[in-house]
Amino acid sequence: MKIIPLEKAKMREILTVLNAGGLIVSPSDTVYGLLADATSENAVQKLTQFKNRPPGKPISVFVSDFSMLKEQVEIEKKQLRLLQELLPGPFTVILPSEHKVSPLLESEKRTIGLRIPDYRFIKTLVRNFGKPVTATSANLAGRSPHYSVQSLLNELPENKKKLIDLIVDAGMLPRNKPSTIVDLTAPQIKILRQGDIVFKDKKTYISKSPAQTIKIAAFILQKILREKSKKPLIFILEGELGVGKTVFVKGIGEFLGIKNIISPTYVVYYEYVSINQLIETFVHVDLYNIQEADEFKYLGLEKYLKKGNLLCFEWGEKAGEIIDLLKQKGKIAYVRIRYISEKKREITIRFGQSQMSKLKSQNQNSKL
Amino acid sequence: MLILAIDTSADETAAAVTSERKVLSNVRYSQILLHKKWGGIYPSVAKRAHEERIDWVVDETFKKLKVKSEKLKVEDVDYIAVTQGPGLAVALEVGIKKAVELAKKYKKKLISVNHLEGHIYSCFVQNSNGNPKRDFRFPYLALIVSGGHTEIVLFKDQVDYKVLGETRDDAAGEALDKAARMLGFGYPGGSVIERLASEVDNKDFFNFPRPMIKSNNLDFSFSGLKTSFYYFLHSRVIARSKATKQSHLRSPRPAFGGTRDDNNIALDIRQLASSFQEAVFETLLIKTDLAIKQTTINRIVVGGGVIANLYLRKLLRILVKKYRGEVLFPPFKYLTGDNAAMIGVAANYKAKKRLFVKDFKLERIPRLRLS
Repeated sequence: MKIIPLEKAKMREILTVLNAGGLIVSPSDTVYGLLADATSENAVQKLTQFKNRPPGKPISVFVSDFSMLKEQVEIEKKQLRLLQELLPGPFTVILPSEHKVSPLLESEKRTIGLRIPDYRFIKTLVRNFGKPVTATSANLAGRSPHYSVQSLLNELPENKKKLIDLIVDAGMLPRNKPSTIVDLTAPQIKILRQGDIVFKDKKTYISKSPAQTIKIAAFILQKILREKSKKPLIFILEGELGVGKTVFVKGIGEFLGIKNIISPTYVVYYEYVSINQLIETFVHVDLYNIQEADEFKYLGLEKYLKKGNLLCFEWGEKAGEIIDLLKQKGKIAYVRIRYISEKKREITIRFGQSQMSKLKSQNQNSKL
Repeated sequence: MLILAIDTSADETAAAVTSERKVLSNVRYSQILLHKKWGGIYPSVAKRAHEERIDWVVDETFKKLKVKSEKLKVEDVDYIAVTQGPGLAVALEVGIKKAVELAKKYKKKLISVNHLEGHIYSCFVQNSNGNPKRDFRFPYLALIVSGGHTEIVLFKDQVDYKVLGETRDDAAGEALDKAARMLGFGYPGGSVIERLASEVDNKDFFNFPRPMIKSNNLDFSFSGLKTSFYYFLHSRVIARSKATKQSHLRSPRPAFGGTRDDNNIALDIRQLASSFQEAVFETLLIKTDLAIKQTTINRIVVGGGVIANLYLRKLLRILVKKYRGEVLFPPFKYLTGDNAAMIGVAANYKAKKRLFVKDFKLERIPRLRLS
């Protein structure tokens, strides 16, 4: 067993271990995972031996992109469109397998769980490897997943440690939950395990807490930022008082490295400097106090409508006339937050028409 | 040491001339009436109003100023101080532009002041006769509670602060304003809530949550309380409209104001206001109590618009009595709101430490933090 820090990990060394049927502990976009060649019977057997995994329990796999995904499963156009909205991201999707990976990884129904992680190290690794790699959490069956190598090693008895060939150590991972598992084999989408980000359909997310809303916001922003734009990015948020609009904006801010976002109601808007390379200035506007839409044009916000800026408007339903101006000058994402119950929210995201089609074509051409 | 101070952080265009802690002249042009129509500050209106009034306000400040029956002019002051932030960007710009212009013209040193510093020093502001004569007895805990801010600050020494806790979303004053709005009242709503609550002896009827009181840190969060209140009101409205077969839900804002004539509901509104205020105040009290325990500092200064509330003052007096400490409030009512007098007094201590703006280069910082 060898431990190497992530920044010193050499692709060639890792590929050699995988090719020899070895087991690798690796950081991911969720928790520490166990990587093995998903097409090798021996490697997968070693993995199930390590995990004490009862036979018949499926194990999901990482693929690097949509073309590798399509080789592994039967997928319909409609399902593909949904996945293109979500992936890469913290989701495991279950689809009928094409049986190109070890049968030990498939379920009794011959389905397989797939992940396209939002984690560069694993994506590069799988792309170079050219085959799917197992994507199970690095813990013994029935135990909790690990966010640091130290906590994993503390759990393992010596005989288990011996089964691991290589550990890639990225230190403490952020406390993201394991992925959301989505079963697409039934006529209705089924969520089998709830991760940080839970969705209802390709435009609708479900949040059960402010912490989840923050993660959903960051996830949505991250997706949008993958597409380069010459226009400022504008979020228009709608929803009743107390529904969590500022919480959503906090998620956007956190992704940009801004941690001190507070309600701008009192002064109508606050301006922040972003530390994200793609965004320069972040403006958080609250239209709660605005009563007449035509007065809106005097807000003095036009100067912010330029490339590299991000604007969030709370109470966007009051934006009225200015929407046309915003549409003309910016790239707009509408976010509608609804109360489902006192704690639970439904977050719907909608883009301007042109934005939507661009997003799709971009995803299809993506070389991930 | 004479200082001309300017503050245009939100909806007051304010200027003052101070000498040490004494306020020799103080002028405010309040835009509250202007903003009542909008239900809050309205940026373009605020900017235009500041621009239209800043010259008048500064002139008026000097008109009212007499030192030993002698008329003074801008060139007679030693320094010019101005609020750099936090506040509304377009409003701050107006005050800064004016201050820089005057400082350049009359070759005066420029002092930038954090608006929150002003609120902290507001407890030590004196009238032109030098009253009240409060001495500084450092260290203090400073509690700032206003429409835009809720913070607990360690006030170690002159111009030496450390933020111990602050709101993560809404300010206490904003929460009170929004609750007032939900009950059908206008802006500013804090004083309406205070009056309604006093009519039912500030009792708590509904026990709304006290946010973050178990967190063991000194941060605040009032948005969850707002959510609970909104949800509570809505469930009541639904129940009531079902009973009367009449829907109140369609209106863009819950229009409880429309039903205020009904005696039973009027009682309800007082109870709601009181319970909400109690949730906000008890949270402030619990955090202040925790701050006293954590720092073992039992002397407190309080600034900001919410401390105009006499019931909150009473609660804080009771709290410090428990620790045999003392609590200081702004000695004059105008000091609870935004004003330039407190900016001048804070600037006085910055001048003593030779903290001046270099080359008149001063940018407004809308989210300026205390440090």
